[in-house]
Amino acid sequence: MVFTSQIFLFYFLPLVLGIYYALPKSSEWRNFFLLGASYIFYGWWNPWFVLLMLFATAVNYTGGWMISRAPHGSARRKWALAGSVAVSLGTLGFFKYFMFFESNLNTVLSWVDGPTLAVLQVTLPVGISFYIFQSMTYAIDIYRGDAPPARSFADFACFVSLFPQLVAGPIVRYNTIAAQLVQRDHTLERFSSGSALFILGCAKKILLANVVGGIADSAFESEAPGVIDAWFGVAAYAFQIYFDFSAYSDMAIGLGRMLGFEFLRNFDSPYRSASITEFWRRWHISLSTFLRDYLYIPLGGNRRGERRTYINLAIVMLLGGLWHGANWTFVAWGGYHGALLAFERWRGKRGIVNFLPRPAQIASTFVLILFSWVLFRSPGLVDAGRYFGAMFGLNGGGAIAPLLAAELYSPGHLVLMGLCAALAFQPVQAYDLANEVTWPKTVALASLFAATVAAMFTQSFNPFLYFQF
Amino acid sequence: MTRTRLPQLGLVLVLLLAICAVGLIQVVAETTGAATPQLLDLFRRTPTAAGLRAYETDLEQNSWCGNRIRVATQLAAFVTFRDLGAKALIGRDGWLFYRPGLEYVLEPCDGLAEAAAAIVAFRDALAERGIKLLVVPAPEKPSIYPERLGLFAQGLKKPMATHTTRLIETLRNNGVECTDLFSTFAGASGKPLYLVQDTHWAPGGMRLAAETVARRLAELGWVSPGQAVYDLKPVNLLRQGDIVEMVQNPAIAERFEPEPIVCEQVIDAEQTPYKDAAESPVLVLGDSFLRIYERDEPGAAGFVAHLARELRMPLASIINDGGGSTLVRQELYRKPELLKGKRVVVWEFAERDIRFGVEGWQRVPLPE
Amino acid sequence: MSTMSTVSTELGILTRFEVLSACLLALLPCVGCGKTAESVPSKVSQVGTTEVTAVLEEVRGEFVNRANYDYAFVMKYKVKAVHRGSVEGDTIYVAHYNPQKARSSAADARVPDIGGNVTRFRPGDVHRIALEAPIDDYYMGGIINRYFDEYKGVIYWAVWTDDAQ
Repeated sequence: MVFTSQIFLFYFLPLVLGIYYALPKSSEWRNFFLLGASYIFYGWWNPWFVLLMLFATAVNYTGGWMISRAPHGSARRKWALAGSVAVSLGTLGFFKYFMFFESNLNTVLSWVDGPTLAVLQVTLPVGISFYIFQSMTYAIDIYRGDAPPARSFADFACFVSLFPQLVAGPIVRYNTIAAQLVQRDHTLERFSSGSALFILGCAKKILLANVVGGIADSAFESEAPGVIDAWFGVAAYAFQIYFDFSAYSDMAIGLGRMLGFEFLRNFDSPYRSASITEFWRRWHISLSTFLRDYLYIPLGGNRRGERRTYINLAIVMLLGGLWHGANWTFVAWGGYHGALLAFERWRGKRGIVNFLPRPAQIASTFVLILFSWVLFRSPGLVDAGRYFGAMFGLNGGGAIAPLLAAELYSPGHLVLMGLCAALAFQPVQAYDLANEVTWPKTVALASLFAATVAAMFTQSFNPFLYFQF
Repeated sequence: MTRTRLPQLGLVLVLLLAICAVGLIQVVAETTGAATPQLLDLFRRTPTAAGLRAYETDLEQNSWCGNRIRVATQLAAFVTFRDLGAKALIGRDGWLFYRPGLEYVLEPCDGLAEAAAAIVAFRDALAERGIKLLVVPAPEKPSIYPERLGLFAQGLKKPMATHTTRLIETLRNNGVECTDLFSTFAGASGKPLYLVQDTHWAPGGMRLAAETVARRLAELGWVSPGQAVYDLKPVNLLRQGDIVEMVQNPAIAERFEPEPIVCEQVIDAEQTPYKDAAESPVLVLGDSFLRIYERDEPGAAGFVAHLARELRMPLASIINDGGGSTLVRQELYRKPELLKGKRVVVWEFAERDIRFGVEGWQRVPLPE
Repeated sequence: MSTMSTVSTELGILTRFEVLSACLLALLPCVGCGKTAESVPSKVSQVGTTEVTAVLEEVRGEFVNRANYDYAFVMKYKVKAVHRGSVEGDTIYVAHYNPQKARSSAADARVPDIGGNVTRFRPGDVHRIALEAPIDDYYMGGIINRYFDEYKGVIYWAVWTDDAQ
């Protein structure tokens, strides 16, 4: 189910909230109900996918159980951890990367005139990257002693499948939520703040991301955009991905609060960053901290000398890129960010143009990020190259560019792009706004929700961008 | 209750009321309308991915609230931003454009090879029966009037170098005879060749197309002029453009005045409007570019009638709205009698169908 | 703690509200189930030359949804009973106009005389249908026929389609 769909908003959500609050206040009852609701939520895409999630849940629960039973430092403990991590990554690898591996292998084989393999068609279950990572943290956190084992399989399964953040994050680590699974407070303050965040997220997705997404689509799908069109298009995509992905996080955190949970913030005005290093402290925080704590630090972090630090950064960013999807564009995107991070670290974690005033640093960082979004948005490296060419006028200007311009620069698009820029570059984001609910905010949010729902009725199915990851 | 909690409670109530109301209203509307609530459909059969998608689509399309609110929202977007939604675009001087037509011109087109292969196969099948084929891609409005899209598009070289030009080249290289209306239209002056609020050509454009096709048939020596004498009878009519109708919003449609059109109806010596003749040696296949003025108001004033007048003989025709790529040939398959005694088939299709043709470009056999 | 309990009380109000909503949602369909559409005699027995009760066996692929035109969509049925006229064999291919819409609202200026009480088409549904054939004698427009390659026989035109579940 998609949060901004009628089935979720007008049927699933009211029923879930109604039944949840009608149940006894015991967290066991409510967790069990949330588990069932979450499986329905997830199975709505494809009922068979639920079995895969159940498998990943069982593997990591068993791993955690074995780890908790084995003495500290014992080989059994290590093997249990290695086993659950290997099975989890193996599952992710098969469903997400097997086809990619096979098609690349075929490309290599075709270079040497070897026989090519029939590519096995594997359906990518939605949200698999998120819930596999989440369930892996359970075994790892228990192994490290960062969290106690779950009270029951149902509690753990509830954590893995928890519908608010199941499909597109934020990536919730077990140790940040373990206590809440046992005891959480349902207060009006938390519920109202969750409602506010949910409404703001809905509005960002429906009123901003979906509209500017249309601009980005027009530019990226055009055969030959002009220079200004190409820049306008990638800026639109930058706003789309931010308002889309952060909207999902806002709604997830908001829904979590309505159900008594508190998830960590996932975005912190990322486009106000003055360097790429700062950007990664503000963008998809749950992924960057996950990669830091579960990959970068275990690789040695910055403790093994300068050269190793750069290598570790590169590994983390390349794998982070690949986590987003089985495509060389994501690898290139990760590599690009890794190179920029390494360069900034070499300069003492300072931005490339740190000698300029902060607004100029922010602007230049945004431009660097725009280049990365070209890689991220393009279906292939050749398309990305073509788009870069258009941005720098290397495609001959495009004879049909004026037609594209007529489509891109409509009054509505220009107003929306201006609004997106104003909202993305100002410091107070939805997460901050939702902290305190006052009468003016209530009135504004009610109006915003009405406008959002009205706009939603006019839009066709428009899933969140991060569902594909 | 403290002052801080009241607004919190207010917000929560607003949200809950809003999300509960839509479902409740839907159930009430369905039960009072003597229909089984759609919600129950969910429990009627085993859930599958496809079934759930279809269920959700139904729920959205039949939403009582959604269908009413949508009308107001579209109107607000139109009034505020001159936005006509996903299907239409407003250009200069009130000119409307169908967005897929523009997308066809702007975006890469993967279907060229498939279209060319289907056309060549159709030509070959006809040739086996001694029937000639003339292909007539009908230009999209943006190809002919790009400058009407906006200020940015002023001074563009016309006609736009579209995928259709490449298709025509490919077909000609394969020995398929094509009529290039793009060059003809680009060189034309005078009244607009296309309707302002419609995807189709104006009577002048249609007539120019018919004349061009007739001239080409004569040049090729495929058709000898007949004996029939047709005359023209001017008819004035008002037409609500199909682009306005596609917005599917009466409140918006009201804001567009119907377009005054002067048609020329083709009439015979008895002043009777032109009629097809199934036994004609010429069969015309096509889509709504043939239907307009011919089967629509005023009747007998469209491409087929004017081509018949140019050729001085009644023609046979199959007109399949939005089905120029494949559906019209499937219809021909179901009507074998229309192929009897034919010497020439003229096949028109909207150029955007090269990419967006309904059911693609299937190989369709000729009727037995 | 007192704040907490106050808040809990407030949430309690919401709880009852939510539960009430949920109960209403659950109950209203039951009210609807008691109703029947039999009060007005259906046109299914009055229109068309053939009338059958048939199980919708297959809806092949997605419906075509274009802004500019509506199409008829061919579906495969297994005939259970023939009430009027005759059909060829027990598998028939029936074209429904504008199948995304409920039959009661599917008619338009171009195709004015169709109707029924079926709201959506799902494989497994049982329909009582008034038919005409061949389709081209009764309907002029696009026909989406995904059986074209495998079946070249008669395509029926659905004039009236009622639920016969």
